[in-house]
Amino acid sequence: MHEYASAAGSVRALDDVSLAVAEGEFVSLVGPSGCGKTTLLRAAAGLLPSKPASLRVFGRSPDEARADRTMGLVTQDPGLLPWRSVADNVALTSEVTGSRVDVAALLARVGIERFAAFHPGELSGGMRQRVALARALAHRPRLLLMDEPFGALDELSREDLRLELLRIWERDRVSVLFVTHSIREAVLLSDRVVVMSPSPGRIVADVRVDLPRPRFLAMESEPAFAALVSVVRAALGGARPVGLSA
Amino acid sequence: MVLPPLCALLVVLATWEAWVQLRDVKAYLLPAPSAVAVALAAEPGRFLEGARVSLGHALGGLAVGTGAAFVLAVVMAHSRPLERAIYPLAILVKVTPVVAVAPLLIIWFGFGPVPKVLVAALITFFPMLVNAVTGLRSIDPSAFDFLRALNASRWQIFWKLRVYAALPYILAALRISIPLSLVGAVVSEWMSGDGGMGQIILIDNGEFDTAGLFGAVTVLAVIGVVLTALVAYIERRVLFWHESSAGL
Repeated sequence: MHEYASAAGSVRALDDVSLAVAEGEFVSLVGPSGCGKTTLLRAAAGLLPSKPASLRVFGRSPDEARADRTMGLVTQDPGLLPWRSVADNVALTSEVTGSRVDVAALLARVGIERFAAFHPGELSGGMRQRVALARALAHRPRLLLMDEPFGALDELSREDLRLELLRIWERDRVSVLFVTHSIREAVLLSDRVVVMSPSPGRIVADVRVDLPRPRFLAMESEPAFAALVSVVRAALGGARPVGLSA
Repeated sequence: MVLPPLCALLVVLATWEAWVQLRDVKAYLLPAPSAVAVALAAEPGRFLEGARVSLGHALGGLAVGTGAAFVLAVVMAHSRPLERAIYPLAILVKVTPVVAVAPLLIIWFGFGPVPKVLVAALITFFPMLVNAVTGLRSIDPSAFDFLRALNASRWQIFWKLRVYAALPYILAALRISIPLSLVGAVVSEWMSGDGGMGQIILIDNGEFDTAGLFGAVTVLAVIGVVLTALVAYIERRVLFWHESSAGL
């Protein structure tokens, strides 16, 4: 377990994984199941019991970064509190961190201001994920950790949320570490796509995505996009056990 | 809807009344519902006072038993070693017949309300303990991770997440414990005289006043129904977000 990096430092985890995320950079982690990408993300969030000494988030240990409320977390299951309204779910962040939060503005930013009084049980999966995003951004974190946030959504909601995330990120330029199974999603969103291989978890490719910003869904049909997808897919092919690579 | 069960109750009472009248059943064996009503109306003060005393024993025991169980559950939910240490003792309390312990409590605490409250407390303790431990642990792992990533304290996680997650379990435990608390109160009132429905039952039984006996049973049944309905009402108001409330 070693190093993984962000702006002022690096964050390392797993076997010989060394990965740096620059300030304001959007980095995706792709790889087959079991390659340790979620473990890496959870280690960075300070959620794992074992604390690799060399793991660094903005130059500090994940626990120190966590104590400073440097990070916001969005997971595949949004983990909202069903007894709280949408607005109160977002306010949860300020209750915990003590930071002042403009709930109405945050809800407007993720496009759900009309649903402030609704409860999570009344919302679609996409809407819930928007609440989770607003909640994770409420205390203005420097690093947004996203673990397959759109993985459980239908294709249309997923595209909506990718665009929404792009708009928000292009405005705020928070550092993002984004775990996904989708190569196209990774290429569309990221500045860099980091490809991991399983057992032992290690990085096999680090692909810079030099598509212009702001990005749009229509870019997916451009040759440059297709070329990047091929590069990532080839790296993933090499990351799979020999017998399974097609 | 209260109409269908009310109709069913009326049919049962009417059949009972008719049976007793037509077959001329002896009053000391089975009094007619009308005779029970007469017995209740004859001494309303006696039954109300008995109900007040028993309700005090039952609710006092419920508060002590479930309160202690909840505090222990909080400790156990946070520590596996403590859970393993306490759980066998809790099982011991559960499997020991409360009726067997009651005389001991009377020796220790006398003939006043204390042993009655303690019997009701002992009998309501275990359902709350088991349910509360399960409930306090039944938190959404994603919500837990989110709060931990925000460096939320144990205290914050407890009050903002665990308590709410445990609410459905706590209310389910109350539904079980409320009738049990009445059992505990009545049984302990049989053993030592200090008023209450248990005493009324004992006296009326001794006098072969079967109508009075049925009156006491009726009062206890009404208390049980009202308390259970109260919990059901609270469940509907508080657990609107929980999947169990969809069917209520």
